[in-house]
Amino acid sequence: MANNKKLNFIVIDDSKLDCFIAEKVIRNTGKCEAIKSFIDARDALVHIGTNPGDDQAHTIILVDIQMPVMNGFEFVEAFEQLPLHITANYSIYIISSSINENDLNKVHNYASVKQFLNKPLTSNSLAILLS
Amino acid sequence: MLNSKDKIKILYIDDEPNNLNGFKAAFRFDYTIFIASDIPMAYQHLEAHPDIRVILCDQRMPDKTGVQFFEEVCEKYPNPVRMLITGYADIESVINAVNKGHIFRYIKKPWTDVDIKTSIEEGNKYYITKNELATKNKELEFVNNELSKFTYSITHDMRGPLVSVLGALELAKTMDDLNDLRELLEMMESAVIKLDEYIRNTHEYYKNKKSQIVYEEINFETLVEDLEGLFRINGKMDNVRFDVMVKQAVPFISDKVSINIILNNLLSNAFKYQRKNAADKFVAMAIEVKNNTVVIEIKDNGIGIAASHIDKIFTLFFRATAEEYGSGFGLYNVKDALNKLNGSIEVSSAVNEGTIFTVTIPGKING
Repeated sequence: MANNKKLNFIVIDDSKLDCFIAEKVIRNTGKCEAIKSFIDARDALVHIGTNPGDDQAHTIILVDIQMPVMNGFEFVEAFEQLPLHITANYSIYIISSSINENDLNKVHNYASVKQFLNKPLTSNSLAILLS
Repeated sequence: MLNSKDKIKILYIDDEPNNLNGFKAAFRFDYTIFIASDIPMAYQHLEAHPDIRVILCDQRMPDKTGVQFFEEVCEKYPNPVRMLITGYADIESVINAVNKGHIFRYIKKPWTDVDIKTSIEEGNKYYITKNELATKNKELEFVNNELSKFTYSITHDMRGPLVSVLGALELAKTMDDLNDLRELLEMMESAVIKLDEYIRNTHEYYKNKKSQIVYEEINFETLVEDLEGLFRINGKMDNVRFDVMVKQAVPFISDKVSINIILNNLLSNAFKYQRKNAADKFVAMAIEVKNNTVVIEIKDNGIGIAASHIDKIFTLFFRATAEEYGSGFGLYNVKDALNKLNGSIEVSSAVNEGTIFTVTIPGKING
């Protein structure tokens, strides 16, 4: 990814504090065009479905695993059902406090998930992701 | 003499009516006897009486041997203890009876009453042990299952808030604006409160599992006042109207710890899961003690529960919304406490309209 290009971000986490931290850390990078946070993954899915994006504006999704109603894995599965002209403009990163091996291994089963990130999100881990 | 319902149920299969009648005559005072002159009739008895504990079967019958019958029975009705009766004891059929029919005893014809009685008593002991083991295994399986849910939840529900606070601390180091810092501190506080709530709920879970029932007189009026006081201090009732009606004319004997767990969780849910912008938020509780039974109705006009979630709300760690923090313990603990008191709970709910929980608890009998 080119370093000078601005990016959009979507944060999906049922913890408001974690959304807040992610937003601050992302803004501090100076590479962010817009951020949207969702505490309910279903709302994020609706938003993505109605905002296909284009090749000028790539969006990075940071999604938590354990959330009520729709968890991170269920979100990824639903995301992968969206048409390619939408999904191509989004990259998914899973971000979780989970240290459960099943969760970590499961991440590899999803083609659309780029990487697993440990909570808390720090400017360091985000810088590595963006470089 | 033993009451007929306490007697061990025995099924005896033989194609000779004389044997059947003789058997029944000899043992009908000690056991409840079912007799069958052929295999289909034997199956009818097994179908109608799943609590038959011992099956005795003659080896030589016209359509099937006893061993063949037992081979089939093992599959469909594995619980009863099987015994083969025969006058022709060739070694081949003995081997088959043991290996294929999985029999418990081999009884030679002509039998004596003592033979049969000893065999049945032994078989019954074996039956009881086997069943106790199966029950214990089921309990173990259940506990194990909960334990793994626990382990998983601990990594999320305990580590989650800690990791959030760590992230916030890291962020705070880079912040200069005092207002921003204050906002962050407030969020850190709520993460720590979350963790504390989780630990308290875990404690309640164990307290409920381990504690013995202590019967005492329950005064619902004072119980509700105490709870209301706590809710007010914690600010849980802010901007929510609380209507209480208690009708208790007679003493009610029950376990205070369990009743408290039930009321506390149901009320705190009712206050918590309100619609944010609703103008007239209310929680109404009606308690009535009648005929040594208490019926508690807790009604709110909050966010409600979707029909697709209603079956799962009493499951450990199930959460139906992200709007408010929940540990996934609350209603599970309610159900657990109710089981202890032989109580029951019903729920009716509509999304964005509200929820009604109705709890029925019998008081201690002869209390």
